[in-house]
Amino acid sequence: MTLKNRNLWLIAPAVTLIGVCFLYPVLWLLQRSVSEPVWGLQNYETVFGKAVYVGVLWNTASIAGATTLLCALIGFPVAYSMVHSRPWIRKLLIFVVLIPFWTSILVRSFAWLVILQRGGIINDLLIGIGLIAQPLDLVYNRFGVLLGMVQILLPFMVFPLFSVMARIDGSFFKAATNLGANPLRAFFRVYLPLTMPGLATGAMLVFIISLGYFITPEMLGGRGDTMIAQLIFQRIDEFGDWPLASALAIVLLVGTGLLFIVINSIFKLRGGRS
Amino acid sequence: MTERKTQTVLNRRAFLATSLAAGASVAALSAGAGRALAATDLSGREMVFASWGGSYQAAQEAAYCNPFMKATGALVIQDGPMSGSKLRTMVEAGSPIWDTVDVTDTFLFANEELFEDLDFNIVDASELDQAYVHPKGIGCIVWSYNIGYNSDVVGDTVPQSWADVFDVEKYPGKRALRDRAYPMLEIALMADGVAPEDLYPLDVDRAFAKLDQIKDHVIWYTSNSVSQQLFVDGEVGVGLILNGRAFDVNKKGAPVHVQWNQNIRSIDYLVIPKGAPNAEVAQHFMNATADAKNQALMANTLAYAPVNPAAFADVEPDVLPWLATAKENQDKGFLIRADYWRENLAALTERWNEWKLT
Repeated sequence: MTLKNRNLWLIAPAVTLIGVCFLYPVLWLLQRSVSEPVWGLQNYETVFGKAVYVGVLWNTASIAGATTLLCALIGFPVAYSMVHSRPWIRKLLIFVVLIPFWTSILVRSFAWLVILQRGGIINDLLIGIGLIAQPLDLVYNRFGVLLGMVQILLPFMVFPLFSVMARIDGSFFKAATNLGANPLRAFFRVYLPLTMPGLATGAMLVFIISLGYFITPEMLGGRGDTMIAQLIFQRIDEFGDWPLASALAIVLLVGTGLLFIVINSIFKLRGGRS
Repeated sequence: MTERKTQTVLNRRAFLATSLAAGASVAALSAGAGRALAATDLSGREMVFASWGGSYQAAQEAAYCNPFMKATGALVIQDGPMSGSKLRTMVEAGSPIWDTVDVTDTFLFANEELFEDLDFNIVDASELDQAYVHPKGIGCIVWSYNIGYNSDVVGDTVPQSWADVFDVEKYPGKRALRDRAYPMLEIALMADGVAPEDLYPLDVDRAFAKLDQIKDHVIWYTSNSVSQQLFVDGEVGVGLILNGRAFDVNKKGAPVHVQWNQNIRSIDYLVIPKGAPNAEVAQHFMNATADAKNQALMANTLAYAPVNPAAFADVEPDVLPWLATAKENQDKGFLIRADYWRENLAALTERWNEWKLT
């Protein structure tokens, strides 16, 4: 702790903002979830007792998990290339990775529809070169959802990885190979563990942001791809069912918090301090 | 949740943006602000009108708000877009900022406690088809859920019924249907051979059993702009589309058409939120929206149908075939039973969501 007590006012705006815009609404949600229609846990019984909510919670977790995994697999080589390339290429890569942030999520989702649909660019191309005879179902299913989400969330994986990789001393890797490790072994035993802080941060960000996704599954998903935010929205917007929506939101929040604690402690146990 | 906000913008009519049919001459209406309007002087008074934005609200402004302002001297301020959660939150907090809001029939029926009673001493609803008048709201437009088809895709095999739409041999590939129990359960039952007059109360198990047969041959949409996209691009040959949405893309040249057989009519109501600060002005405004000339202007612009039969005198001939309350079209369909859905929407939505996961 380097922050002296007399400098605490520096964080006052942030604390106020979080208190007013986050803590208060969450406490309000919590209260409505246990007090309406009567005091008790009936809303939570509904959430955990009905197949639809359990199923959608599972959907949410598995879509977020798959998105995280894909972002890691795709983002890792990108971050690595950014670190180990000439400055102008690095700048270009940063630019390319950031482009998704510049367009609205709605526009991007529509663009994906046009590209991925059965008469879309990709299917036309694949049929044109004779690779397939019948168009593939690339959208209105889980594949479409994951593609849309990975594209949007990739920067959250790439940048934490990039900042950690940039600080890794290249001589560690050379030392490992000099001492007889083949490159693969040197990578898994030396390089990968050193990138763990970045990988963990990126994974956490991607996973947590994924949990609240709404438009992408709504537009690119199919019948079985409902995520929890869609149900929360529906309960409030169409039915004014604040109690059940609140319970769903609290379950999501607590689940995320627990996961955060678990990942954090696993990470600490393995001694991964940066 | 910026995502949610953008979703609101994607609403039913907001996306009709580009098609403000130029033909609808705004000038034609100036003579039309008749009824008891001129008698009521509301100079210096104001009210806030909230609707769904886009060309829909622009048409309402031209057809309802401007004539009202001209006739009474009141000022109508435009706001929106309408959002169920926003509306509910402001009424529950006791301080609505909207005086008149455009809501769907399902929303009105599911949330009647949020709205003021209409004062029928001020609102003259006598000319209107009473099927579209509610104690708390008057229908401002009638639209319909229709069988839609892309004639380039289906050729001469024009779908005649929902049974055709559900026939995966007649129409291989995907069909576009709405990802909501409302009105998909009615549609499934009709596809299974139930006559419209025998639909209610819905045989829910039978409807889901019918839906099970085609569930993998469907692209399910919630956004009506997506439905337009699907039909225009020929991603689907047949399916469900709103008549106004089909009109919009058809006028722009897409080979998208509607079949009126077994159409399901639905209503948008104008309502006054409980506790609205200018409720009295809003009652007078409601009266202006019932005016036949104003309604005709609305219909000519966006093909959403009038609830005042007298309006048909001023509807343009090329718009008439697209209107859900045109005699011929109305006879081929029925009005959805909003009272049934008021009782069952919540439970059936939950079941719908569960069914989707299977």
